[in-house]
Amino acid sequence: MKTTNLTARQRKAYLFRLICAAISWMGIGLLAILIFHVTSKGISWLDWQFLTGFPSRFPERAGIKSALVGTIWFISMTACFSIPLGTAAAIYLEEYSRKGPLGYLIEVNIANLAGVPSIVYGLLGLVIFVRGMELGRSLLAGSLTMTLLILPIIIIAAREAIRAVPNSIRLAAFALGATRWQMLRFHVLPQALPGILTGVILALSRAIGETAPLIMIGALTYVAFVPEGPLDAFTVLPIQIFNWASRPQEDFHHIAATGIIVLLAVLFFMNIIAVSIRHHAEKKGKV
Amino acid sequence: MLFGFLKDLDPRLRSRRRQWKERIIQGGLFLCAFLSVITSFLIVVVLGKEAFPFFQEVSILEFLGTTWTPLLEPRSFGVLPLVCGTFLVVVGASMIVIPAGLSTAMYLSEYASSRTRSVLKPILEVLAGIPTVVYGYFALTFVTPILRVFIPSTQIFNAASAAIVVGIMVLPMVASLCDDALRAVPQTLRQGAYALGATHFEVTTRVVVPGSLSGIVASFVLALSRAVGETMAVTIAAGATPRMTLSPMESIQTMTAYIVQVSLGDTPAGTVEYRTLFAVAVLLFAITLIMNVIANRILGRYREIYE
Amino acid sequence: MSKQTQSLLTLLEAVGVTIYYSDKPAVQEISISVPEHHITAIIGPSGCGKSTLLRAFNRMNDFIPEARMEGQILYKGNQLYAPGVDPVDVRRRIGMVFQKPNPFPKSVFNNVAWGPSINRYEGNLNERVELSLRKAALWDEVKDRLNDSAMTLSGGQQQRLCIARALAMEPEVILMDEPCSALDPVSTARIEDLMFELKKTYTIVIVTHNMQQAARVSRFTAFMEGGMLVEFGATKQLFTRPVNKRTEDYVSGRFG
Repeated sequence: MKTTNLTARQRKAYLFRLICAAISWMGIGLLAILIFHVTSKGISWLDWQFLTGFPSRFPERAGIKSALVGTIWFISMTACFSIPLGTAAAIYLEEYSRKGPLGYLIEVNIANLAGVPSIVYGLLGLVIFVRGMELGRSLLAGSLTMTLLILPIIIIAAREAIRAVPNSIRLAAFALGATRWQMLRFHVLPQALPGILTGVILALSRAIGETAPLIMIGALTYVAFVPEGPLDAFTVLPIQIFNWASRPQEDFHHIAATGIIVLLAVLFFMNIIAVSIRHHAEKKGKV
Repeated sequence: MLFGFLKDLDPRLRSRRRQWKERIIQGGLFLCAFLSVITSFLIVVVLGKEAFPFFQEVSILEFLGTTWTPLLEPRSFGVLPLVCGTFLVVVGASMIVIPAGLSTAMYLSEYASSRTRSVLKPILEVLAGIPTVVYGYFALTFVTPILRVFIPSTQIFNAASAAIVVGIMVLPMVASLCDDALRAVPQTLRQGAYALGATHFEVTTRVVVPGSLSGIVASFVLALSRAVGETMAVTIAAGATPRMTLSPMESIQTMTAYIVQVSLGDTPAGTVEYRTLFAVAVLLFAITLIMNVIANRILGRYREIYE
Repeated sequence: MSKQTQSLLTLLEAVGVTIYYSDKPAVQEISISVPEHHITAIIGPSGCGKSTLLRAFNRMNDFIPEARMEGQILYKGNQLYAPGVDPVDVRRRIGMVFQKPNPFPKSVFNNVAWGPSINRYEGNLNERVELSLRKAALWDEVKDRLNDSAMTLSGGQQQRLCIARALAMEPEVILMDEPCSALDPVSTARIEDLMFELKKTYTIVIVTHNMQQAARVSRFTAFMEGGMLVEFGATKQLFTRPVNKRTEDYVSGRFG
């Protein structure tokens, strides 16, 4: 950029561009600072004992096993409920629903539900699943609650994936005398699968990190056992982290950071698996 | 000569069975979609069922008071300190996210090369995917100490750290939505301005931004609605002291943090303390619902203009 | 299943068919008889309603919510739009090939095999696929590439694949909606040759804006204009000694 002959206007333009760029790149800077801060605080406490031990009153002996296993259980159950429900709802809205008051009602509700604070879902889960259906403070109650929370995310993403399938495929299938369900099952869904998986990844990543609804359900914060069935009590990583971070002692803050490292690692790992599944589905779709 | 295999079975019989199967499938899919309506209905019922008796014991006027001590004697049910706490955090967050989000969006859509975009956008998505507990922890252990260096009167739990961190948390959403809004402005509009001899800066600020204003405003409202509903960061970093104050350096309590506090305690069901949970939740739900409806309205009207 | 050669048995018939798109008539009071084992062409300028009429024959208009039909479509004397009739059944007997080739993003084999397999075909699927591909004059070109994706075929090959796919359902009628308009002249010629072969076993109705093509392949031609049937008769006669002046103007290139 020439520095001579710049009018005031152009100089202002250049400056503005610099400022915008700086602010944008600060976002990266912030991420780096965050990761660095957390890692530096927690990495020294990360050892095998931490990963396989149970929480304790003494930070040096505290472990994250119950939270880790609980998280794995929890996410698997949530996935089992939310993936079929979300995909089914998206299929209905894109392929069967006609423009009418009923369809409009459903769409408005989904849009609004996407913006409801997670803690309200927690209250819903508490009253309906924990108390109403008497599931207690169990994995089942928690995963059902979380399913309701992430359902709008999955539905919105799945709809977009289904919409992207070209209409000529549908017409070709119909012209061969296929029923609507045959057309969907054999052609539209397989082609929309990578997009649907993306939405599912997004939703489950959100579910792993959500704490508030599970606090309401009553996921415990001091759990010295590993859940063995869907009706068992449980805890998850974010709640354990929250518990440790809320204690005044400095050492607990350190292992909270260690817990965060594990949580971020789980998220990272999950995203890698999911992206490779998506990649595989995309490749397979070509044959 | 080949026999058509379709003619083996009585076609009318197969057809009817097939039609029934299709109808059952359609019904099942419908129920899954209708679940959303049921969920909304249940939320209203669940909140209302406990909030209604609450408001029979505590008048609306008292609820709008300025002292909130529902769990201690003497009891007072004025919810405004909680609203004030939420307000402080949201306003603080918006002071960060509105300028930074818009600037980032302008950079992404107007200035950045596609290579830069392909680096920046995923990073923003990573920022968006970080769990809120982590942000809360970051606020407590990093931001607050730094603030205390610059402003010694800052308390350990304060609204400012939470506000800063909530702002960062919401930034990717605003940047992404504003980016979409800015990109939706047609090239012809920009080129008309350039042809009049305007600089890039002038085109961006005087043509593109005003032309996508409703999309930008809608994204702000959506982001702030999320900030209102944010729970963990404020619970960890902002404190548990309901207080009517405009100083962000003090410890406060937001509506969401209060709900968490009560849940962690041992409040028996059916008591008025238990019901405060739902009363505050109703208020929270109402505020976020109104904000979301407004934002979606604006977005809806905005989409019509360019189509 | 003996072939009825010289007799003109009416297989498909439109009787007083009027089709509205949101209350605007796209097809008005059309009556046409499609005889078995012949090729019937529908020609006319763009927008005259020929594709709409074609789609009525296999109930593909059912997917257009704004479309409404009056009149009858008869298949072997049975009403296709009677209340108890399942459109899925109709489409299994009356197949369609579209203007732009639309193979499924699957392998060549799976494209052809899909139709029979969803009908729980109990015979040998490999044989059925090979037979259909041979009938579509595509077998020799793809027999070593059955597992390759259909998207790797050329445009002309893809269209013949779509024909093979339709044939695999063993329909009695094949409806073709401007099947060659997206193809080059060589591919077009091959498909026209194919049509001559196919008409020995199947009945074909082809919509085309290419008059020369209609003159080349069809035995009977219907000329439509503005949604109405102007003239319908033997192709030779319609092109050389048309009854209606408008037909004469169109086929001699004075307009359209």
